[in-house]
Amino acid sequence: MVVGGGIAGMQASLDLAEAGYKVYLVEKQSAIGGHMAQLDKTFPTNDCAMCTISPRLVEVGRHPDIELLTDSEVVALEGEAGDFQARIRTRARYVDTQKCNGCGACAETCPVPVPNGFNLKLDQRRAAFKLYPQATPNAYAIEKRGVAPCRDACPTGQRAQGYIALIREGRLEDALRTIKQDNPFPAICGRVCNRPCEAACSRAKLDEAVNIRGLKRFVTDSVYAMPRVAPEPAPRRYDERIAIIGAGPCGLTAAQDLCRAGYGVTVFEALPTAGGMLRFGVPEYRLPAAIVDREVQDIVDLGVELRTNTPVTSLDDLFSEGFDAVLIAAGAQEGIRLGIPGADLDGVLINTRFLRDVRLAELDAAAANPRSEIEGRRVLVIGGGDVAMDVARTAVRLDAAEVHMACLERREAMPASQHEIREALEEGVQIHDARSFLRVVDDGNGRAAGVECQRVEHFEFAADGRLNVQTEADSEHVLPADVVIFSVGQRVGLAFLPEDAGVELARNRSVATDPQTTATGRAGVFAAGDSTSGTAFVIDAVASGHRSAKAIERYLRGEPMSDAPEEKPPVAEPSRSEIEDRVERGEIARAPRVPMPERQAGERRGDFGEIEAGYTEEQARAEAARCLSCGVCSECMSCVHACGVAAIDLDMPDATRDVEVGAVILAPGFEAYRAELSEEYGLGRYANVITSLQYERLLSASGPTAGHVRRPSDGATPKKVAFLQCVGSRDASHDYCSTVCCMYAAKQAVMTLEHEPDTRVHVFMMDMRAFGKNFESYYQRARERDGIEYTRCRISALKERPASGNLALQYVESGAVPDGAEGAQPSCGVRVREEEFDLVVLSVGMEISESVKDLGRRLGVQLDEHGFCHTVRFDPLQTSRRGIYAIGPFREPRDISESIVEASGAAAAAGGLLTRSRDSLTHETVYPPERDVRDEEPRTAVFVCRCGSNIGGYLDVTEVAKYAKQLPGVVHAEENMYACSQDSIAHITQKVKELGANRVVVASCTPLTHSPLFESSIRAAGLNPHLFEMANIRNQCSWVHGNDWDRATTKAKDLVRMAAARSGELEPLTTDQMPMTKSALVIGGGVAGMSAALTLAEQGFPVDLVEQGDELGGNLRQIHFGLDDLAQPADSASGDGAASKSPQEFLADLIDRVEREPRIALHLRTRLAATSGFMGNFTSILERVPTDGGAADGAPAGDGAASRQEVRHGVAILCTGGVEYRGDEYGYGTSPNIVTGLEFEALLAEHAAASDGEPSRPLPKSVAMVLCVGPAERYCGRICCSTALKNALVLKRLDPTARVTILYREMRSYGFKERLHTQARDAGVVFIHYDEARRPEVRTLDAPAPGDSGLEIKVWEEILGDEVTLRPDMLVLSNPVVPGQAAQEMNERLKVQLDGNGFFLEAHAKLRPVDFASDGLFMAGLAHYPKFVEESIVQAQAAAARAATLLAHDSITTGGRVACVDPALCVACLTCVRSCAYGVPKIDGEITGIGGIEGAARIEPALCQGCGLCAAACPAGAIRLMHSTDAQVMSKVDALLLEEVPVEVSPE
Amino acid sequence: MTTTSEFEPQIVAFCCMHCAYAAADLAGGSRCGYPPSVKIVAVPCTGRVDSLHLLKSLEDGADGVMVAGCLSGRCHFQTGNLYAKQRVEHVRGLLKEIGLEPERLRMINVSAGMGVQFAEHAKEMAEAIAALGPNPLRARRATAPAEVATMEEAS
Repeated sequence: MVVGGGIAGMQASLDLAEAGYKVYLVEKQSAIGGHMAQLDKTFPTNDCAMCTISPRLVEVGRHPDIELLTDSEVVALEGEAGDFQARIRTRARYVDTQKCNGCGACAETCPVPVPNGFNLKLDQRRAAFKLYPQATPNAYAIEKRGVAPCRDACPTGQRAQGYIALIREGRLEDALRTIKQDNPFPAICGRVCNRPCEAACSRAKLDEAVNIRGLKRFVTDSVYAMPRVAPEPAPRRYDERIAIIGAGPCGLTAAQDLCRAGYGVTVFEALPTAGGMLRFGVPEYRLPAAIVDREVQDIVDLGVELRTNTPVTSLDDLFSEGFDAVLIAAGAQEGIRLGIPGADLDGVLINTRFLRDVRLAELDAAAANPRSEIEGRRVLVIGGGDVAMDVARTAVRLDAAEVHMACLERREAMPASQHEIREALEEGVQIHDARSFLRVVDDGNGRAAGVECQRVEHFEFAADGRLNVQTEADSEHVLPADVVIFSVGQRVGLAFLPEDAGVELARNRSVATDPQTTATGRAGVFAAGDSTSGTAFVIDAVASGHRSAKAIERYLRGEPMSDAPEEKPPVAEPSRSEIEDRVERGEIARAPRVPMPERQAGERRGDFGEIEAGYTEEQARAEAARCLSCGVCSECMSCVHACGVAAIDLDMPDATRDVEVGAVILAPGFEAYRAELSEEYGLGRYANVITSLQYERLLSASGPTAGHVRRPSDGATPKKVAFLQCVGSRDASHDYCSTVCCMYAAKQAVMTLEHEPDTRVHVFMMDMRAFGKNFESYYQRARERDGIEYTRCRISALKERPASGNLALQYVESGAVPDGAEGAQPSCGVRVREEEFDLVVLSVGMEISESVKDLGRRLGVQLDEHGFCHTVRFDPLQTSRRGIYAIGPFREPRDISESIVEASGAAAAAGGLLTRSRDSLTHETVYPPERDVRDEEPRTAVFVCRCGSNIGGYLDVTEVAKYAKQLPGVVHAEENMYACSQDSIAHITQKVKELGANRVVVASCTPLTHSPLFESSIRAAGLNPHLFEMANIRNQCSWVHGNDWDRATTKAKDLVRMAAARSGELEPLTTDQMPMTKSALVIGGGVAGMSAALTLAEQGFPVDLVEQGDELGGNLRQIHFGLDDLAQPADSASGDGAASKSPQEFLADLIDRVEREPRIALHLRTRLAATSGFMGNFTSILERVPTDGGAADGAPAGDGAASRQEVRHGVAILCTGGVEYRGDEYGYGTSPNIVTGLEFEALLAEHAAASDGEPSRPLPKSVAMVLCVGPAERYCGRICCSTALKNALVLKRLDPTARVTILYREMRSYGFKERLHTQARDAGVVFIHYDEARRPEVRTLDAPAPGDSGLEIKVWEEILGDEVTLRPDMLVLSNPVVPGQAAQEMNERLKVQLDGNGFFLEAHAKLRPVDFASDGLFMAGLAHYPKFVEESIVQAQAAAARAATLLAHDSITTGGRVACVDPALCVACLTCVRSCAYGVPKIDGEITGIGGIEGAARIEPALCQGCGLCAAACPAGAIRLMHSTDAQVMSKVDALLLEEVPVEVSPE
Repeated sequence: MTTTSEFEPQIVAFCCMHCAYAAADLAGGSRCGYPPSVKIVAVPCTGRVDSLHLLKSLEDGADGVMVAGCLSGRCHFQTGNLYAKQRVEHVRGLLKEIGLEPERLRMINVSAGMGVQFAEHAKEMAEAIAALGPNPLRARRATAPAEVATMEEAS
């Protein structure tokens, strides 16, 4: 199991999978790629990061033995090495990656903008998103934190956040669809809902809840203003019919649901029109009847039968009429008359009856009109609820003379909403609170004249529901009234239910039901809404209707009525502090609720017109913008509707699974330092201060600015950019160096100039840590060729100029004062400067995130105080728990190539542990059978890649594709954004199949990296992979002719024409399988060679280990002190045995292990004489190294057979090491007191091991060290700085009074080695910086006094601004490692390549750091580049892992692009035999040549190297080099020259 | 008649995949520009390049032909670049005989790491060819198809 899908995790997975192991790759994000996918370019080659990583992404995505688990985390790990049980939790992605085709329709329709984390929040993406365009898996994901609190609070689960998001986008019809998803009465609820959602709204934590109800109403106001489109009738799917009693909100909701489900539904309504209490209980001024009618009609139009004026009198009648189920939804419309004396007097009315009569009078002029009862009279309403308010305010509108209300509760405790109370008061209603009612006063004529009341002190409901009231003594008084209206509650009216109906009633006379299923005691009879609950709100009735409909459907389908309670999805409720944080980051602005316009009291009391006017569009959008999008995904369902492949499921649950794994590789990566925490840099406060990762995205063609550098405040192109180094590194809270920042800043600086050549770039740094291969020359080029300014300092202040947004930096400049410059103080080379910049980039360091620390703790691996993973000394990838390995920055800050080396190394270590289970769980890729195209005319499909802007930004890709289309033989041409992305690869396969194409040309980048990928894509389409051709229009065109759009375009056309022409000549080639020689040759018996040999042997492969010297050990024999005992913080010293091992003890152990390993054949005093063959089948001649006496030791002189030996091997790992440079710089060789680093270490070792006799000389009392000697001025020696620090500290330990002065150019103690630097400073080591223009001068005095070393060193001290003279006892020169003679020999014998400094040249600096370009050959150790012991061990393991990916196969593929002889043309002239450097062609007497002569040339395909020398040499033209035949080569030339692009030739 | 400044030469560069092609890639990667007149034709090894390929390219009208291989003694296929060198010399001799400037053909050697040098060689070659002017065979060929086209149009 590999944890972390960054480049390191990907590499480890690929190496393991290729070596025959099943891999689970667990990634926390929704796609793999990690930080590398965010980068624009990589140093030091300036390769496009995406181009480099993209093929790997595809490879991982396609590998049959890698199971990719995205959105996943390891939550627990039990067991032990070889047998772990891992529990993996996968967060719901809400998109099925198997179904999703990456079309992006979901993201297009998604209304929820989210800050785009991939672009470091420089822009926004949608809640439905793909992490980045080339992401693997090529699938979208939906970011959803959970159910929004508003939805959670709503009884019917109304997706308020959803329609609010859509309102923000102005998509009102979609918003209505979203509302209707859960609620058939949007306009009704938009007016009269009691809005539990608003009570739950998180916005209230900041200022005021969002006016959700007002927004809902706005949607319907707008949509209903347009002509109504009747809904399509729902198709009938079932025979069953359902009767619903009551056309109120509950009954109608159920009717809608059941009708949509395909049932026959009839709704019985006693009143003349549908709507129930909505229609007859709520007054017009709150809910216009037209609105109710419209929403009822929408349900009726679905096909619901509505029978009005039809009271139901018997359930049995319904069943006998043929209904299969009955739903009682009769509501609670029976008002309650208080049981007090006089309650039956004339002039005493009941609330529901009163309100209904008002409505009925509107419908039927003949009906009794309550107005006559009210008009001009004094009305007293008894009750304090919302219905009482409706009654009172209706009475106002019926022109009562006065309207009074009296209620039990105190004013502030009245159950009516505050809003209603306020409006009633505005309309002149007078409220008499805290009264209890004794009787209705009789006017003597049997008519009410008022109500006698008492003042209430306190009341409460007893446990049995009875009311206990404490009244004030002697408080009786009469409230006079002409009309008294009781409004003290409603109850269910179930008069139609006879005793024997089989339906039981509850104590409050409502229907008794199972609350979950709404089923009554009688089968087939259900009850819902107010009929069961007593009075509730509309939204409760709707919810109840939905629930009941579901239950009825189950009943009719014979399914269990209730299932196991579902796990409720989490509610996404942001905390107050989270909201404050968002305000802080500027994502949210404080804003009060947009006021709802309403009519004034004086105006409204005269009629029943609506009070609230509703929002205008502008107001609605402003109000909608206040929504905090708590759930992120708003569940608006737009994506579900938009998805063409039904891949989206917003109810997808999280999942947990257990897997069994043998080993775990942790590659969780780093987190960039949150530089907001260093407030002095102003990140987050000043718009134009950004982090390096943000800058990387600005540089990237696929970033938020499409690759144009624009500063955030105003979008202007910055003219002056400053980089501030060591932000979050080498400071009080970070005692380490983040290793990569110096180089990535150099790269970003260089790239800045490439984008905008006139920019001035200034880097402020402490040291330039360009310690890797080719880093130093990169830095030098940046400085010298590109003119990037470097200043060695930390800035002392950074301020924003508010008007311009520019940033003023104050810094101390040292060493910049030239001699004699005007105003310079000769004694001090320091001055304070202030400079203004347009943009400041913070080079943020690496940290370990809290979640990774948690992971480490969960898995039980030891972490240091910063969260970096502790690993075992001399087993550098092994964590404190056996079987768990750590790689990449999780171990120590490091760059891409080092991480990749570690990844391969960990694959080897894990492979060694699991050797026995190799191949047990893997499968092979199966391609479809190849289509025979030999007899077909060429049909070429051309794909032209934009490569983001790498190509598209420099030439006209569209034009090239258009041009390609009309070339001969081309049947199709198109352009692609990234031809190598996973979706494009699949698209190419698909397109080839669709078109029946038989040749494919991709015009993109270099075939050296990309052709295997495209070849496999056409294999997947059933084409022979050799029918593929590339036109390299990036490396050979856009990148080299970037300044000339037209000519670059023309050349791209030329290249495409050439490729298309050649494609027409391509032939399918067949291959054979050759057995793989499953053993390895390792050259070099140093620590790298031994580690590589052991790693392979432990994986079961025999190894020949060749060492030139007499004994094993190499350079490690000269290393006596480890860095680690000094560099590790005290608290991480672990108890494992290796921690206390010295380098020499480790070496002794290692040699012992090698000597005892039966699979290693050791060849000492032996060297490689020659190698022939090829990957899988090498044969090498080993010969004994002659001793000084001239004869090979132990072998009789002159016995050639004994001193030469032939070994066969499938792969070779070259670890030929390096040597310490010896040159005469700084007077080396002129005095015994001038020594090299290794010589000094040997002296220290003599003194440290005091018991072993007398040291050869005393320890010096004072030492000067010079760094960067000789070749190290050209390339960085990498280990010299830290080694010098180590030796200085060892000396100080041996003699605390010793004085050490280190003269350095740059102090490159990278990573944790920075701690040595700090320790050395603390120990009093003096550091003096020099630069290459002013090297220290060393003089040896001719006749020194006795005891005087005679050394004199002069060096310029910048801060003093003066020259300093040192007289140390000893001068130690940090001479760098140089590649030994052996590297040169390997170059000659194996034709492996060397770089400019004579080190091995890797196939690709970033992605193939241990591979040679030649197949089957790998490298490790000092011959590649100077490195520390542990780095060599890891690299050796990596090389072994890469070798194992080959050795794991039983055979290798041969043939294909090899030379073939046509015997019919062969004259057996022997030209080929003589010319082939490999001796492959043979004259075979069995073959008949030209003219029937016996014997013709034969070329063994397995041996042929495919160079084609013979084909060119053959005078008879009898040899063809497949894939490079004459026709194929010349087709390109002919196409270029004979079919030129038509150009207008000006007449003579 | 085109003047020298407007003359857009066509230069065919046969590049071996192991060194020169990779060097050209690197030139691209490090944005070391060179004139667009240089068009690369990849071959597995310069040893694959036949004398006929060179002659035919010139006959087709290439203004210059470049054979770009590994550094001397560093051929991925051991000796391919040495054979190529011989052939290039041989063909240059032939060119001289038929009165074509031998400078139109040259061999260069670069390693995979020599992107800058590749670009420099390409630049130099283009300049040299620009100084020589168009390949006379190309000029002759250019008129022939034009005549055909005219006849077709006329008919």
